[in-house]
Amino acid sequence: MQDKIILLPIIIPLFFGLMVFTVPKGFRAAKETLAFLATFLNLLIAIALFKSNISFSLPWAGLGLEFSLRLYNFSAFIILSIATFGFLIALYSIVFMRDKPSLKQFYAYFLITLSLASGVVLADNLVIMLFFWEGLLLTLFGMIYIGKKEAFKTATKAFIIVGIADLCLMVGIALTGHLSGTLAISQINLPLDALGSIAFILLMIGAISKAGSMPFHSWIPDAAIDAPLPFMALIPAAFEKLLGIYFLTRISMDMFRLTAGSWVSVLLMSIGAITIILAVMMALIQKDYKKLLSYHAISQVGYMILGIGTALPVGIIGGLFHMINNALYKSCLFLTGGSVEKSTGTANLEQLGGIGVKMPVTFACFIITAVSISGVPPFNGFFSKELVYDAALERGLIFYLAAVVGSFFTAASFLKLGHAAFLGKLSEKNKSVKEVSFAMLLPMIIIALLCVIFGVFNSLPIGLIQPILGKERLAGHNYSGFPSNAWLVIITIIVLLGALLNHIWGVKNKGSGLKAVDHIHYAPVLSVIYDRAEKRFFDPYEIGVKIAHGFSRIGFLFDRGIDWIYDNLTVKLTFAFTDQIKKLHNGNYSTYLIWSLAGLVLIIIFLI
Amino acid sequence: MSYEYIVFSIVLIPIVGAFILPIIGRISHRLRNLLALGFVAASFMLSLYLIPPALAGKVITLARQFPLGLNFVLTADSLAVFMACVSSLLSAIIILYSFGYISHYENQNEYYFMVVLFLGAMMGLVFSGNLILLYVFWEITAITSWRLIGFFREKSYVLKADKAFLVTVFGALAMLIGFISIYQQAGSFDLAVIKESLKTNPVANFAVVLILFGIFSKSATLPFHTWLPDAGVAPSPVTALLHAAILVKIGLYVFARLFLASFTFAEFWHVVVPLVAVISAIVSAGAALIETDLKRIIAYSTVSQIGFIFFGLAIGNGLAIVGGLLYILMHGIAKAGLFLCAGIIEQNTKTKDITKLGGLITTMPITAVSFLFCAFSVMGIPPFGGFFSKYMVFAGAVNSGHLVITALFLVAAFMTILYLFRLFNLIFLGAARIPAKEASPIMVLSVAILGALSLVGGILIWYPSKFVQVVVTQMGRM
Repeated sequence: MQDKIILLPIIIPLFFGLMVFTVPKGFRAAKETLAFLATFLNLLIAIALFKSNISFSLPWAGLGLEFSLRLYNFSAFIILSIATFGFLIALYSIVFMRDKPSLKQFYAYFLITLSLASGVVLADNLVIMLFFWEGLLLTLFGMIYIGKKEAFKTATKAFIIVGIADLCLMVGIALTGHLSGTLAISQINLPLDALGSIAFILLMIGAISKAGSMPFHSWIPDAAIDAPLPFMALIPAAFEKLLGIYFLTRISMDMFRLTAGSWVSVLLMSIGAITIILAVMMALIQKDYKKLLSYHAISQVGYMILGIGTALPVGIIGGLFHMINNALYKSCLFLTGGSVEKSTGTANLEQLGGIGVKMPVTFACFIITAVSISGVPPFNGFFSKELVYDAALERGLIFYLAAVVGSFFTAASFLKLGHAAFLGKLSEKNKSVKEVSFAMLLPMIIIALLCVIFGVFNSLPIGLIQPILGKERLAGHNYSGFPSNAWLVIITIIVLLGALLNHIWGVKNKGSGLKAVDHIHYAPVLSVIYDRAEKRFFDPYEIGVKIAHGFSRIGFLFDRGIDWIYDNLTVKLTFAFTDQIKKLHNGNYSTYLIWSLAGLVLIIIFLI
Repeated sequence: MSYEYIVFSIVLIPIVGAFILPIIGRISHRLRNLLALGFVAASFMLSLYLIPPALAGKVITLARQFPLGLNFVLTADSLAVFMACVSSLLSAIIILYSFGYISHYENQNEYYFMVVLFLGAMMGLVFSGNLILLYVFWEITAITSWRLIGFFREKSYVLKADKAFLVTVFGALAMLIGFISIYQQAGSFDLAVIKESLKTNPVANFAVVLILFGIFSKSATLPFHTWLPDAGVAPSPVTALLHAAILVKIGLYVFARLFLASFTFAEFWHVVVPLVAVISAIVSAGAALIETDLKRIIAYSTVSQIGFIFFGLAIGNGLAIVGGLLYILMHGIAKAGLFLCAGIIEQNTKTKDITKLGGLITTMPITAVSFLFCAFSVMGIPPFGGFFSKYMVFAGAVNSGHLVITALFLVAAFMTILYLFRLFNLIFLGAARIPAKEASPIMVLSVAILGALSLVGGILIWYPSKFVQVVVTQMGRM
C-alpha cells in the first residue's frame, strides 16, 4: 500500500533507536553509524514526502481511537524541519559526544525522540497525538538524566512540569472530543463558547508548556547546565518549539475558531508578552554561555505565542516564521556554545574571552545567528519579528511595546555574550585553544547560512507558510519581501542602535564586556528582584511543589485522624462499653435473680 | 470437557490443591512450590480457555439446587472471565516470585496453603452467581488475608492483621444485611433472578448504602482505608496479592458485578460514589507524598488509584467503564510490580525507610527499570498501559458531564506523578547509602515480567481493549 510510506518517519528512527540499545559496550562507532544512518534516511524520506498529501488509518484501541495519520502542507513542513535538525545535530553529536558517558542511551533517546516527534506532527487523531506527545516525556527525562550525576533532579523537574501540563492536555483532549463528537483533528471545528474556551485553554497549556513558555519554563535553564549540549540544541531549541507552536497553531487556527478580540486571544498575547520580557531580563544577567541562551529560548517563544495569539493572519505567519527562524538560530547558538565548551572546557563567561581569533568559524556563525536573533536586517529574525510587531501593534500598543523592549534586551544580552566570550582579553589558559573539527562546524555553517537565506530570500519560507493559512484567511495578501510599515522598521533600528549605545556605555563604565549590563542588573529596585529570582524565589515549580506539600500535609493529617478513630477511639469506646457491662456481672446472687425476673416479666409481656 | 466443568475446575483446583500443599510440603519443598504454581497456573490457563466463548458473548452457567431453596451457581460471563484472567495471571507471577522471597522464612507450608486458597476463594467469588455464595468466598478471603498479613507473627503485626480483618468483616456483615434487603425486594439470592425482577426499578438505597459499606471497606476507600497501609507489615508478595491481584480488587469487581452487570442504583449514586472516590484519591495521594515508609507509600498509592477505578466504574458512562476495567488490569500489573520491587529492596537493604535509601539504580538496574516502568504505567504515561485506562476514565467522565469531579481527579493525577517520582528518586537515584545487590534471578525475573507487561499492555492495547468492550456491551452499558 502506497500510504504506508507515511509510517516511515516514525518507524525508521524508532527501529534504529531500539537497535542502538542492542549494541554491546565498546562498539562506539556502531552507535554513531546507526544514529547517522537513521537521521540521514529520515531526512531523505522527509524530502521525498514533502509536497505530498497522504491520509492513513488503522484500527487501534477502538472507541474512536483510530491510528490515523495525515500528511499535508503544514505537517510536511514541520516533518522536514524536524528531519533536518535531527540530521544536523546528529552529525554534530558524533564528534561532540565522543568522549562522553552513556553514549548508547543518548543516541537511543535521540532517535526515539525523533520518531515520537514525527508521530506528533503526523497524527490526525488527538489521542494518537497525545500518545506520541506524552511519550516524549520519557526521552526528555532520559536525555537530561544522562547529563551528569546530579542531573536527575533537573530531569525530574522537567518531567513533573511537562507531565502535569500533559495531563491538562489529556483532559482538554477528552473535552474536545466530547464537544465535537470526534477525535479526528482534521474534522474538529469548535466555537470558543464557555466549554470550548475551557477545552482550548487546557489544550493551550499542553502546547505552550511544550514550547517552554512561562510559567512552564523553569526546567530549561537548569537543563542547560545539566543536560548534554546537543540535547539543548535539539529539544528545547528546536523540537519543542516546532511541536508546541505547531499544535498551538492547529488549535487556534483549525480546531477552534479563535478570533481577534476574544478574551482567549488576549490571554495568549499576555502570556506571550510576559514571557518575552521576564525571560529576556533573566537572560541579560546570566554569566554562563548556555544558561544565557536557555533564557532566550524561553523569551523567543513569547514572540511566537504573541504572534499566533493576535489571531491575525500577519501575526500567525509571523509566529510560524519566527518558530522556524528561532529553531535555526537558537540551535546554532547552542552548537556554538558546545564548540566553545569543547575547546575551552568551560561555558562560564568569566573564564572565557578573546577566543574569537582562535575559533574564527565558530565566531562567524555566532555573529550571524546573534544578529539574526536580535532582529537586525536583513537576517531572518528581523523579518519574522517585524510581522509579529505589525500584528501586535494592531491589537494593542502595550503588546507592541513589550515586544520591542524585549528586542532591546535581546540585542543587549547578545552584545554582552559575544563580547565576553569571543572578544576582550584572551586568558592564559585559553592560549592554546583550537577551532573544533569540521564535522562540528558543518552543521553550524549550514544553519547560519540558512539564517541568511531565510532573511534575504524570505519569500522562500513565507511562500511555504502562507498556504498553511489557506486562501480565505490571506485574502490575497503576500507577507514576504520587505516589511510594509516603514515606521516599524525605523523604530526597530533605533532600538537596536540604543542597545549598541547601551553596551558601549556599559563597557566604558565597567571596563569589560561581561559587566556591560551591570547598570541594569544592579539598578535600585531591580537588583533586589534579580537577587530573589536567582535564588529561585519566583520559580513556579518550587512554589508549586511547596503548595503540593502543604496540601499533602493536610491530607496526611486527615488520614492520621481517621486512623486514630480506628486505633484509639473505637478501642476505647469498646472497652468503656464492656467495662460497664462487666459491672453488671458482679457475682452477687440477688443481682442475677433480679435479671432473671426482669427477663421473665418481659417474656410474659411479649407473649400476652 | 464442557465449559461448565472448566469453570468448576478453575475454582476447585486451587481450593482443593491448597489443602494438599502442606502435606506435600512435608515430603518435598520443591515439589510443593511447583505444585502451588501449577495450581494457580492451571486456573490461569483454564481462564484463558474461556476467553473465546466470552468474546462470543456466551454465558456459561453451572447450577445445582440444594434443599431450603439454596443453590450453587457458577456463572462465567465476560466480566468474570476478564477478572479471573487478571487475578490468576498476577497470582501466578507473585507465586513465582515467592520461590525466592519466602525461601528463608519459617511456616512456608502455611504460606503456600494460604496463598493458593486465597486465589481459589477469589476465583470462586468471581464466578459466583449467587449472593450467598459470593459472601462465603468473600469471607474466606478475609480469613486467609488475616493469616497472611500476620505471617511474621510479631505482636504488632498480628494486631494490624486483626485490624484488617475487623474492618473488612464489619463491612462484609453490613453488606450481608444489604443482600438480605435485596432478597426482600427481589425474592431471590440468585443474581440472574434478581436481574430479571429488578429490571425496571433501581435497588433500594438502603441496600446500596450497606453494600457500598462492604465494598469500600474491602477496596480500602476512605474512610475505611487505613487498614491497607498497615497491612504493609505482611511479606511483600502478600502485599502484592492484596493490592494488585485479589483483595482490593474484590470490592471493585463486586461493584461492577452488582451495580453495573446485575442491577441499577438511583441516579444520584453516579455522583456520590465518584465524590467519595475523589476525596479518597486526593487524601491518600497527599499521605503518599508525606510518608517515608516504602510500602506504606505504595499502599497509599493503591488507595488513590482505587479512587480512579471507582470513578470510572461509577460515573455512568460506557467509555469510563471500559477505562475503569482496563485500569483494574493495568494497575494490577503495575502495582504488583511496584510491591515486588519493594520486596527486593526491603530484603536486600533491610530497611523500608526511603530517606535512608538512595543510588540503588547502579547496583540493581533491572529492578530499577522495572520499578520505573510500573511507575510510569501508574502515572499514565504512554506507551505504558496506564495511559489508555487513565485517558478513557477521564474521557468517559467528561462525556457524562461531570467536569468538577474530573478537575478534582486531575489534581489527584498530578499528585500521582509527584509522589511516584519522589519515591523513585529517593530509592534509586542520588548517592548510594546502603549497598545492596540485585536479588535472586527468579525474583528479578518476576519483576521484569511485570515491568515488561506494563509496556506490552500499552503497545498491544487493542486486545484487552476489545475484550473489555465486549464486557461492557454485555453489561448493556454501551
